[in-house]
Amino acid sequence: MSGAPVCASCGAAASADALFCEVCGARLASEPAGPADAPPATPVTPTGAVPAPAPADVPGGPGACRACGGTIAADGYCELCGQPAASARDHWSERPAPHVGGVCDRGVRHHRNEDAMALAAHGEFAALVVCDGVSTARDSDVASLAATRAALDVLLTGAPQGAAPVSGPTPARAGAWSALVRAAAVAGDDAIRTTMSGAPADGAGPGAPDDEPSCTFVAAVLDGDTLVVGWLGDSRAYWLPDAGPAEQLTADDSWAGELMLQGVPRATAETSPQAHAITRWLGPDAHDVVARTTATVVDEPGWVLVCSDGLWNYCSPAEDLSRLLRAAADRVGTAPDALAGALVTWANEQGGRDNVTVALARVDAAVAARPGDGSSDSLVAGTAVTNPPTKD
Amino acid sequence: MAVFTAEVFQNEFLPAGGTDVHAIVTVTGSDVGSARTASGGVAEIIMIDTSGSMNGRNLDAAKHAAQVAVDQIVDGTWFAIIGGSHVAQRLFPYPNAPRDMVQMEPAARAEAKRAITTLLPSGGTAMSTWLALADRLFATVPHASQRHAILLTDGKNESEPRAALSAVVRQGTGHFQCDARGVGASWQVDELREISTALLGTVDLIASPEDIAADFQALVQQSMSKGVADAELRVWAPQGAQVLFVRQVSPTVEELTARRTEVNPLTGAYPTGSWGDESRDYHVAVRVASKPVGTEQLAARVQLAVGGQVLTSGLVKARWSDDDALTARLSPEVAHYTGQAELASVIQEGLAAKAAGDEATATVKLGRAVQLAQQTGNEEATSRLRRVVEIDDPDQGTVRLRRNTDRLDEMALDTASTKTTRVRR
Repeated sequence: MSGAPVCASCGAAASADALFCEVCGARLASEPAGPADAPPATPVTPTGAVPAPAPADVPGGPGACRACGGTIAADGYCELCGQPAASARDHWSERPAPHVGGVCDRGVRHHRNEDAMALAAHGEFAALVVCDGVSTARDSDVASLAATRAALDVLLTGAPQGAAPVSGPTPARAGAWSALVRAAAVAGDDAIRTTMSGAPADGAGPGAPDDEPSCTFVAAVLDGDTLVVGWLGDSRAYWLPDAGPAEQLTADDSWAGELMLQGVPRATAETSPQAHAITRWLGPDAHDVVARTTATVVDEPGWVLVCSDGLWNYCSPAEDLSRLLRAAADRVGTAPDALAGALVTWANEQGGRDNVTVALARVDAAVAARPGDGSSDSLVAGTAVTNPPTKD
Repeated sequence: MAVFTAEVFQNEFLPAGGTDVHAIVTVTGSDVGSARTASGGVAEIIMIDTSGSMNGRNLDAAKHAAQVAVDQIVDGTWFAIIGGSHVAQRLFPYPNAPRDMVQMEPAARAEAKRAITTLLPSGGTAMSTWLALADRLFATVPHASQRHAILLTDGKNESEPRAALSAVVRQGTGHFQCDARGVGASWQVDELREISTALLGTVDLIASPEDIAADFQALVQQSMSKGVADAELRVWAPQGAQVLFVRQVSPTVEELTARRTEVNPLTGAYPTGSWGDESRDYHVAVRVASKPVGTEQLAARVQLAVGGQVLTSGLVKARWSDDDALTARLSPEVAHYTGQAELASVIQEGLAAKAAGDEATATVKLGRAVQLAQQTGNEEATSRLRRVVEIDDPDQGTVRLRRNTDRLDEMALDTASTKTTRVRR
């Protein structure tokens, strides 16, 4: 974008330093995201003006309606079906490399997209970060975007093109990546605190425990055949091989997760009244920001899927998700952004009660078939927390 | 340069499964200028009833009024005077003049006023011939984009079948605007209303001949103050949606639904005639397919277009919610004008029933009118109704028909039935 910024919501011209559109009041997207493997140097400013990514995937090009493909008029609504134009923050899609892509979407019921994602890929390296802002807290949309970008920046230091590339045999790399993923979570947490300092609380005074901006965190790093995942909260990573058994790599830091650890069946736990209360998160009121991590060697072709609960609410078991993904691939092909888009659309068709984010990385046969120097092992760091405070 | 703005009043929240979206759109024109600045020029025709029944006070007053009106027509305006009975005659320019309409200038003004004094009453009344002549005269000045006529009569259209009048009115629709005035108590409100409604004018009663001059003066002044010749209201509705109705609700109730012309498959245009510095309210109702709770969509764009160019646009929205506190609220503007539109129709139906001798229906309809006038705070309507019915309980709408009502009072109630009051904000 060059010259005067334009409101993504209503199309009105805005002055360069404005945070909100003078015409419609929408938060302004001040700049598009850079290429995903070279993120903007300072994507987050302390003023709370977080640049939203440009909607690059809209069918029919920018200015086309997401619902019917019609033209979006200057008043911000489709000329054919009357759907409002999606703001860049409400829906965007990324595809940093042919084998990596994702879609982040507002869903149907929420008025704001508090999910965020940041993706990067280079050769056989891929990093997927998803954060889900806590909707009962203020400015969680800003917090989640800040956290994903800061976390991705940390992960990129270990990338082949990064400042300190991770190398060595698989166990060494798994250890190095686990450390980087934990550092990424801490960086995400710092970014939220930095972004939010000075941002005024709307309405409720600061210090109200449920009012601090906060978000979940999940990051997956795919480095050749080594897959390292770290998380806080209930956003998930799955390993969905084409043939073998599908696997949920993360264990939710949620009330339901705690119940399942105590032996309550998944179906019962996930439908309990407080199932979605998370027990760990990033943000100023977080008590513990050490991500739990797990490392896996992927030895067959398949998909790494990272998602927010907007997707898995409708399809939690790994095998079900695997079937859903294969069915979607039959329909739309295996372009990762298109495939992620199909899953997001499916979640919205189920009701879209929450924001939905899906990020995918493809492990192809060549990588998986390469002789690995470690067995398919899984390391879990961190400890289960008993009777923790919760957030909805 | 004329500036138009549109303001939308609605409750955009619909319950789950809700489909019907109602909105009041206020369109306001400012800096519209006057006829002098209108592009293409202005044309004005005055039609005076010269039938035998006009003889006496009515014709003298009408002649005087026509002279006053001629004084108000600004220089440069194309104009003509028509005398009408069972046939129509061009009084000025004189029948032997080479041109059908001339531009106003001091000598023409003096000559036109002299021509008016020569009027002699005779014959019957066939208004279709007057309107047909006016239409033909206007056609000789195609460059004049703003064309306005005044029709004055004192009697029933007795020299021809009603169908003949309707046919000519249909033919002239869109060619010129016409305000219709009836003097005395012997004319038919529905005949003049048919003319004024189709030709985007007003109908009114002039009870006493002395008031004709003041009314004509006001009408011509109003016509001369319209700087925008021909504007249309455009209503866009999304694909698959249905426009239930489009109705002007202020300053008067005018049904526009059936007058749609297609701009494109999703957009219809409705005629609004000429505009001065004024504000008009429109009630637009659109039926859209129900969407999941949480969804927002545009239900209509309501626009004012002049010369094919959209000058302002109001957005009517729909948002589905499961919060009863949001969805149950009725927009006060929509409620007010829904009541006012019903008020206009029950007054007309009640008076028609009364004229047909159906007292039971008349009592029910006029009772409902009293109730609506009370609820919507239309005191003018209440006081006009009071002359036709005894009001026992305005809240319940309990009334008794008055015996020996003055026909003028009934006609005043009828002609004013479409006049609405604005919402108290």
